[in-house]
Amino acid sequence: MNQLESVVWPRSARTITSRPLAARLASLEGKRVAFLWDYLFRGDEIWDLLKAELASRFPGISFVDWDQFGSTHGEDEHRVLAELPGKLKALQVDAVVSGMGC
Amino acid sequence: MLRVSAVAEQAGIPSSSLCCEGFLGQARTTAEGLGYSSLPLAKVPGHVDVQRPDELRAGVLGTTVNDLIRNLTEPVITIAQSPDPGARDIVFTGTFDDINRFYIENGWSDGLPIVPPTMERIQAFLDFVDRDPDEVLGTLLPDNRQATIWNVAVNGVIAGCRPEYMPVLVALVEAMADSHYGVEHSGNTPGAETQIIINGPVARTLGFNTEQGALRDGFQPNTAIGRFWRLYLRNVAGFMLHQNDKGTFGGTWNVVLAENEAVLSRIGWGNVAQDLGQPAGADAVTISRFTGRNVIVSVFGDSPDKVLPYLADAMVTHTTWEVIFVVGMANGTYQPLLVLSPLIAEMLARAGLSKADLRQQLFERARMPARRFENLMTHWTNLVPGGKRGLFELTRLGKAPKLFGESRDPERLVPIVCKPEDIIIAVCGDPLRSNCMFMPHNGMLGFTTVKPIRLPKGWEQRVGAL
Repeated sequence: MNQLESVVWPRSARTITSRPLAARLASLEGKRVAFLWDYLFRGDEIWDLLKAELASRFPGISFVDWDQFGSTHGEDEHRVLAELPGKLKALQVDAVVSGMGC
Repeated sequence: MLRVSAVAEQAGIPSSSLCCEGFLGQARTTAEGLGYSSLPLAKVPGHVDVQRPDELRAGVLGTTVNDLIRNLTEPVITIAQSPDPGARDIVFTGTFDDINRFYIENGWSDGLPIVPPTMERIQAFLDFVDRDPDEVLGTLLPDNRQATIWNVAVNGVIAGCRPEYMPVLVALVEAMADSHYGVEHSGNTPGAETQIIINGPVARTLGFNTEQGALRDGFQPNTAIGRFWRLYLRNVAGFMLHQNDKGTFGGTWNVVLAENEAVLSRIGWGNVAQDLGQPAGADAVTISRFTGRNVIVSVFGDSPDKVLPYLADAMVTHTTWEVIFVVGMANGTYQPLLVLSPLIAEMLARAGLSKADLRQQLFERARMPARRFENLMTHWTNLVPGGKRGLFELTRLGKAPKLFGESRDPERLVPIVCKPEDIIIAVCGDPLRSNCMFMPHNGMLGFTTVKPIRLPKGWEQRVGAL
């Protein structure tokens, strides 16, 4: 048990290197914000609360609701994610809110 | 949720991810695996499942909305990732105790002693596959690390496997990396555990226990390969407790289920791998995630009519919230496992039932009231959106098979799977006892996946030389 041994690590390199985030917006005023939802954990209720509060703080803000995209969890997940870049562009979305991590 | 945000950021659109308080740590480590270590999170205080509307409102308006605005409009500091060692880099030299301490400190061990992965031990494993050690078997979420022949061998060593198990380990990781299985869901809160099933002559060659105590630790291949599975999930996929593994309770890994092929052959039934499309006599592994298990004790009777009501009742009783994988969240992905002890399988076969006949009979008998199904799917769990819709309406909308919506009667009986083939049946355990076992399934969050085991050239000689 006192013999010295040299060992390797059990993991492997990540295939993804650190990526920069998208540029943030100067303000949400006049911007179009989309909500994507996994259809779980009261996201619909939370989105309604967020929309009302954001609209009161940024009168020119507009929204794209979750039902425009489909569920981001379950059997539709892969399709929704594959279609997402094109859909965000088509809907002229400026910012994305995604939920729910619970 | 985070994968959506990553896609948005990659498209040049800023994102904010809504996250319940207890899941912020998991979100941060998952984001790192996606390449966005600083992906902005907006906290939802507490957990929404138990909050009154006023509590939810207070949390969202007091915290979440401010986080969200900050996430979308203020610069985010990017955290640099530390560089990883190379696969063959020596990361530590020391005694057995020192190495085990080092492995535990780095989170690379499950807490039990590991066998030190030295170059010599790893090479012994590599000698049992005719494949390039650097061959990539796939990329595993959430950490986005490569599964390779090399790191299969390393984790096989540390789990306490024997070198000749290597072809089985490789097949298992090929199954893990198959998108059909859905490894990325392995850290979800129900904490379900994978059950590995092995079929074919290789099971006998390697000395798997197929008989009494078939699902208990105690036989090296059943036990060590089960341990390998979870160590690989930890070390390569990246599922670690308090980080990406958010099982509320979780459970230990399952030892491998090796079917009793001698009994199957005697009664003329195919094995699990054959039922899933593998040729007869092939060596294969099957993986599927199950949310639990219960033994069906003292199945009593000398005919199918006496035995099947009890088996069907057990299947219904132990299928609860998992109905969302039958209809609701991911239709037709519920594939529960019924394990028959040889006595019961032999009696059913003697009565003239093929495996297909048995599945059909269980499909017809294992039914629950629609009211109970709907309570489990929507009212008690809130797991299916539009929870006010019942099975009748879902059927009318084309979102459920017709069998589920034949009337509006809440007491009508509906199946617990979409088709007979969704009932997986295995045979093992004490040959002279009449107990059976049922395991409810985690549906698309660990879908049944089968892979062939590819043995190296000269397998018999290589094994025989040990």
